[in-house]
Amino acid sequence: MDAFLTSLKGIIDALGATVLLPVLIFFFALILGAKPGRAFRSAVIIGVAFIGINLIIGLMWGALTDVAQAIVKNTGITRDIVDVGWPSAAAIAFGSNVGLWVIPIALLVNVVMLALRLTKTLNVDIWNFWHFAFTGSLVVAVTGNLFMGIVAAALVAGFMLFFADWTAPAVQKFYNLPGISIPHGTSAGYVPLAIPLNWLIDKIPGLKKWDADPETIQKKLGPTAGDPMILGLIIGIVLGVIGFLKMGTVDGNWQGFIVNVLKLGINLAAVMVLLPRMVSILMEGLIPISEAAREFMQKRASKREIYIGLDSAILIGHPAVISAALLLVPIAILLSVILPGNRILLFADLAVIPFVIAIFGPLTRGNIIRMVIIGTFTLIIGFYVGNALAPLMTQAAAAAGFAMPEGAALIISIADGFIWLPLFFVFLAQNLGWAGMGLLLVLLAALLFFYSKNAKKWEVMAGGPTE
Amino acid sequence: MEKTKTVIVACGTAIATSTVVAKSIEEACKLAGIPVFIKQCKAAEVPSYASSADLIVTTTPLPANLGVPVIQGLAFLTGIGKEQTLQQIVETLKEG
Repeated sequence: MDAFLTSLKGIIDALGATVLLPVLIFFFALILGAKPGRAFRSAVIIGVAFIGINLIIGLMWGALTDVAQAIVKNTGITRDIVDVGWPSAAAIAFGSNVGLWVIPIALLVNVVMLALRLTKTLNVDIWNFWHFAFTGSLVVAVTGNLFMGIVAAALVAGFMLFFADWTAPAVQKFYNLPGISIPHGTSAGYVPLAIPLNWLIDKIPGLKKWDADPETIQKKLGPTAGDPMILGLIIGIVLGVIGFLKMGTVDGNWQGFIVNVLKLGINLAAVMVLLPRMVSILMEGLIPISEAAREFMQKRASKREIYIGLDSAILIGHPAVISAALLLVPIAILLSVILPGNRILLFADLAVIPFVIAIFGPLTRGNIIRMVIIGTFTLIIGFYVGNALAPLMTQAAAAAGFAMPEGAALIISIADGFIWLPLFFVFLAQNLGWAGMGLLLVLLAALLFFYSKNAKKWEVMAGGPTE
Repeated sequence: MEKTKTVIVACGTAIATSTVVAKSIEEACKLAGIPVFIKQCKAAEVPSYASSADLIVTTTPLPANLGVPVIQGLAFLTGIGKEQTLQQIVETLKEG
């Protein structure tokens, strides 16, 4: 019997996310009531998507590792943590041990919190459960304790429901989305940071009334900063020139220099186009399960007022958000160069900046300059969070079975590697273990308690309507 | 053979929410017998694709006056009113 279990465990360990996740997704979709044929097809697509994502991450990780090493060697500047983007983070999170369990766990948290009237949000955005698994997988990386990672993911799910409720009136009014809330990991958690900053801007004369015109910004910056492919090409060429210049000037190998620079440019342009396509395949595979989960949850939710929790992608078409994000792209690149102690080479997640600032829209009444200022501060803090989290994210990627190139650079992504919440969780897990998880539960309970006592005031603070 | 209709599906990233919408429209049009080409794009890219489209479905705010019918696709994400929205899309494509 023992021998059987050992070999079974050996098989499971060797299979990894590409086989294991589809198998679990298949059974889970059946339990939620999806038709077997559909469930099977979507399970296979998920496995296929993981293989695609793995290939593209391999291409990107290899190319960025090469140039990062070249930059260190030739300029002495250390930028050896590469930004592999949220599609990679999502794949790592879903492919981790915690990711296998996150969908049922987060649904359970939501059902329980709805039943106890601790939240109004019904989170149907199954895809974005990866944010919960991301923090959970980092907790596993730091503690080695899978169960603690699952508990951490459950707690993040709870925190996100709280943030979603808190910001819902603001989001609904500003973006004209009645009945919607945003329990999205990359957006919601920034509110506690944005409120004091916005208050501070109010105190500075002159700055207070400054705004910018969204159309001009989009016309001037849109074609380059708004097009990930062109952005990838430019970044690749610039990094290539910095990294490989000595090949020409010192070794006289100009031919090698040109080949290296242009190859890097087209490789990184390819990553910017292909990685999102692969994630789109993963998304396609998750549709049947998220539909089944949505119906399952809606049948069980009572008739009282409910917010439907959605992806913050529905917010970021707003002209103020697009414009502020375009302005923040060059700012973010500049920060990655000048911030002292920074080791992060920004790349794939330059496209994710709109998510970071979307929740500032209502708070700043759509003022672009304010969103840029608050966004800049958020990014500065984010860089240091990212530098701290990179070793763990790299470890989590290895644990999830992603192939590392030789002498690999460390990896990070803005979503959610630049976010305080995962770092906060990891810090508590590392230093206090289970007591840290207990502390987080108490904190969540306290937030829910004080919010429920004075909901209106909290909501206005987050930019909600006053009447 | 009917002319293939072009539908643009816009969202914040052209990845996540627009995939959900695109797949639903694809299935509905297949059932209704409308040959359809679906292009996913980001909200900011819509103006440059609008002229080639018969219909735009979006999950995020878009600029006005695109010269093409625009339908709100939030129902695909919330599940509330999804059938009506699909019907609206099919009818708009049949008329156009």
